[in-house]
Amino acid sequence: MNWDKFIVDGLKHGDPLIIGAVISIVLVSIAIVAGLTYFKKWGYLWREWLTTVDHKKIGVMYIISALVMLFRGGADGLMLRIQLTAPEAKFLTAQHYNEIFSAHGIIMILFMAMPFIIGIMNVVIPLQIGARDVAFPRLNAVSFWLFFFGAMLYNIAFVVGGAPDAGWTSYFPLASTEFSPGVGNNYYAIALQIAGLGTLMTGVNFIVTIMKMRAPGMTLMRMPMFTWSTLITCIIIVFAFPVLTVALALMMFDRLFGSQFFTMANGGMDMLWANLFWVWGHPEVYIVILPAFGIYSEIISTFSRKNLYGYKSMVASMAIISLLSFLVWVHHFYTMGQGAAVNSFFSITTMLIAVPTGVKIFNWLFTLRKGKIVFTTPMLYSLAFIPIFTLGGVTGVMLAMASADYQYHNTMFLVAHFHYVLIPGTVFAVIAGMYYWFPLIAGFKLNERQGKAAFWTIAISFNVTFLPLFFLGLDGMTRRQYTYSAETGFGPLNLIATIGSVGLMIGFALVVYNIIWSFRHAPRETKGDVWDGAGRTLEWATHIPVPVYNFAVVPEVDRLDAFYFAKKEKRSLFKNKIEKIHMPSNNGQPFILGAIFFFWGFFMVFSMWKSAIVAGIGVLILLAMRTFERDHGFYIPVDEVKKTEQSYGGDSV
Amino acid sequence: MMKRLFPIGHVMGFIFSLVLTLVAMLVVYTDMSYTMGMVILVSTAVIQATVQLFMFMHVNESKEDRNTLYINIIYAVVVSLITIFGSLWTLIWDW
Amino acid sequence: MKIDNSLPLEYRNEENRFRITGFWIFLGAEIVLFATLFLTYFTLWTRTGSGLTAADVFVLEPVLAETFILLTSSFTCGLAIHAMRQGLKKPMMVFMGITLLLGAAFLGIEIYEFYTYVHEGLTLQTSAFASSLFVLLGTHGAHVTFGLLWGIAIMIQLKREGLNETTANKSFIFSLYWHFLDVVWIFIFSFVYLKGLM
Repeated sequence: MNWDKFIVDGLKHGDPLIIGAVISIVLVSIAIVAGLTYFKKWGYLWREWLTTVDHKKIGVMYIISALVMLFRGGADGLMLRIQLTAPEAKFLTAQHYNEIFSAHGIIMILFMAMPFIIGIMNVVIPLQIGARDVAFPRLNAVSFWLFFFGAMLYNIAFVVGGAPDAGWTSYFPLASTEFSPGVGNNYYAIALQIAGLGTLMTGVNFIVTIMKMRAPGMTLMRMPMFTWSTLITCIIIVFAFPVLTVALALMMFDRLFGSQFFTMANGGMDMLWANLFWVWGHPEVYIVILPAFGIYSEIISTFSRKNLYGYKSMVASMAIISLLSFLVWVHHFYTMGQGAAVNSFFSITTMLIAVPTGVKIFNWLFTLRKGKIVFTTPMLYSLAFIPIFTLGGVTGVMLAMASADYQYHNTMFLVAHFHYVLIPGTVFAVIAGMYYWFPLIAGFKLNERQGKAAFWTIAISFNVTFLPLFFLGLDGMTRRQYTYSAETGFGPLNLIATIGSVGLMIGFALVVYNIIWSFRHAPRETKGDVWDGAGRTLEWATHIPVPVYNFAVVPEVDRLDAFYFAKKEKRSLFKNKIEKIHMPSNNGQPFILGAIFFFWGFFMVFSMWKSAIVAGIGVLILLAMRTFERDHGFYIPVDEVKKTEQSYGGDSV
Repeated sequence: MMKRLFPIGHVMGFIFSLVLTLVAMLVVYTDMSYTMGMVILVSTAVIQATVQLFMFMHVNESKEDRNTLYINIIYAVVVSLITIFGSLWTLIWDW
Repeated sequence: MKIDNSLPLEYRNEENRFRITGFWIFLGAEIVLFATLFLTYFTLWTRTGSGLTAADVFVLEPVLAETFILLTSSFTCGLAIHAMRQGLKKPMMVFMGITLLLGAAFLGIEIYEFYTYVHEGLTLQTSAFASSLFVLLGTHGAHVTFGLLWGIAIMIQLKREGLNETTANKSFIFSLYWHFLDVVWIFIFSFVYLKGLM
């Protein structure tokens, strides 16, 4: 066997950054294995986490993975900024720079933003609708492990074989075997495919959960806004991700089996890739932004001590966005050479999206108006979001104009725009959501003083980092250029941006420090409704940390924000007696399935066909085991539920 | 027994689908314009799909879910049509 | 678990009702998946490079046979579910068996078709047209193959356990899948073959 193909070029040439990455990966792996063995935690890890089907634990695993990926992607971003600090810098080579900006995009969108949001959905949605779990708990675990192992497969590319280097969009013909002969872009096609399958299943799972498992009395128009946003997001997932599945499969066929979809000869059409990628890619933008809107709606309403202004218009605007999101994809490649009518049409649809988004902005502002605003950490993120995101949205409308876009296309202006949308939109939201819902899982709040310090560091550094990029873009600096000469005059603004990015890194480190510190020192909460009794939705109606069965008795709902009004009118949402509770059993198969997919993907990347076929058969065997299995879960007896309830103080039932 | 095993609805659906297939074949065996041919193909295929959906798959049988399933299918078809025609417009027709 | 005895066996248990709804939504995703493959084919089908064109390789007769076989299998699959709803296990098994045999016959003809294409000089690598044709047909064929394996697994379970909530639910979901594949084939038949021969 020829082992040479597994060794990345950087290692062969002795690139210190790559050697450092290899050494740190090996050391961290050894440390994890040694630590688990020393503390005898293998059994705990397997029983409590790897085999779990509990939506809360799966959510926590999503969020932890996402935080790890945030640092991986953040380190990439920092390296890009360091390389651009000064003209003609020699920190990264051109090839290494290409690999890193590709990784930064893919990781941040697909392995950070998506899992963070799906993690929060997992923790919160069943609680918000008064359910005990998602519709398919086992499938939920499969989704997580497919995402996890897809992400792992992508992450080993840097040290085994070579990393993708054609941008997160992997445009053809650059990504074809002709121009990218290494295995890097095989990793792209296959790792994303595995993770994408997991996401698709999450979409199906949550649609069924929300449509069929709501508490009695909770009609669609009585659902909390975050539940609404999740429902609409999942609809977009279900109808957008199949396009990615196909696009990646065609890419795989082109790269591994010599088909001619995107080639430059024999009739292939490279533009078809860009088209398919963005048919998925634009709805994907809304997949990561709509749940964020839901999170902000919950937080702003809670900490303004008011109901959400314009509930119906919020729902309507999201429904409109979900349809429009499938009608705008061409704006990502106005300059590709299609006709003027095409560009005009997509220009108009793109600008139209600003209307429902504007409606939402005004609804938040009116929710704040005359409210008794409490400046908690999650609220600070939400308040910062509104102006910063509006700046991102307005520059988006500038980019939407096809003729003007010929000037902005592929410049730093665009880079600044999407960071202005995605960071205050998605990243602020998931961090705010984490602070807001943290007590549900942990039983305590994260320290507020540290949280606010982290917030101000992040919010200020964000603007220092990305505001200069607008001007650099207008001055003509293109994205993805790995260096520039001093005569361009790009130096000073780039220096400011790099200083900002260091600040961002410090800010995110503070968030992690805040979590670790709070685990050790934060005071434990005693009752479920932790935000000074301001909770409006059902997740605050149970105990914290939320027991494994979520609600001892299923709540009954008679209006929007039912929990808030029940508190006000001093009545209970829980009318029935405690009965035995049906729960799904833990199972190791989802984890094993994910692991087999990992090996299948690895063998495919390196064209090791026999091994890949064996792994493929392994997948089929696991599916067969699943269909022949008879596992109807188990019941928690009434006594045990009562005992658990008493251990919480037992006053809510 | 035959009546129990071969319900009239299914048998009619089957015969109907065979007829539709034969009608669709006209476009190959007769001389007609492209537009006419496409009209025939689109209508037979759509009717065929509807027959399967209602007569064999019973999409309307669950009261609780009926609307969810209709919205699901309509949404999928709308997204599909947008994707197909939008892409052809962008990549091929090009006006 | 909430049990509702007024409903057919496969709907009776709440979790099984979730499964049916979930599978319908998955079929919605499948519609978009095949639509994307159709779009790829429509975009590329005239782009044959120096290779063979659709008119060169398409022959109606075997495709017609495939169509009638698959339509019939969809019919027998519907009959199987109809028999199941009346608790008639044996006729159900017979209809399921016929469905799967017809599916295998369909697959046999499709493989033979592929063999002829390759023999005539049209392979996956020949041209964009060939790639998109093979991947569209291949994806449908792979679905049928998976359906055969799945159907066999369900028949084994029916034989072992008889009709109960679980096996009825699995059989019903399988039938949705099988009818869906028939619908996809109708579109392939109409817009790939008939349109190509027009």
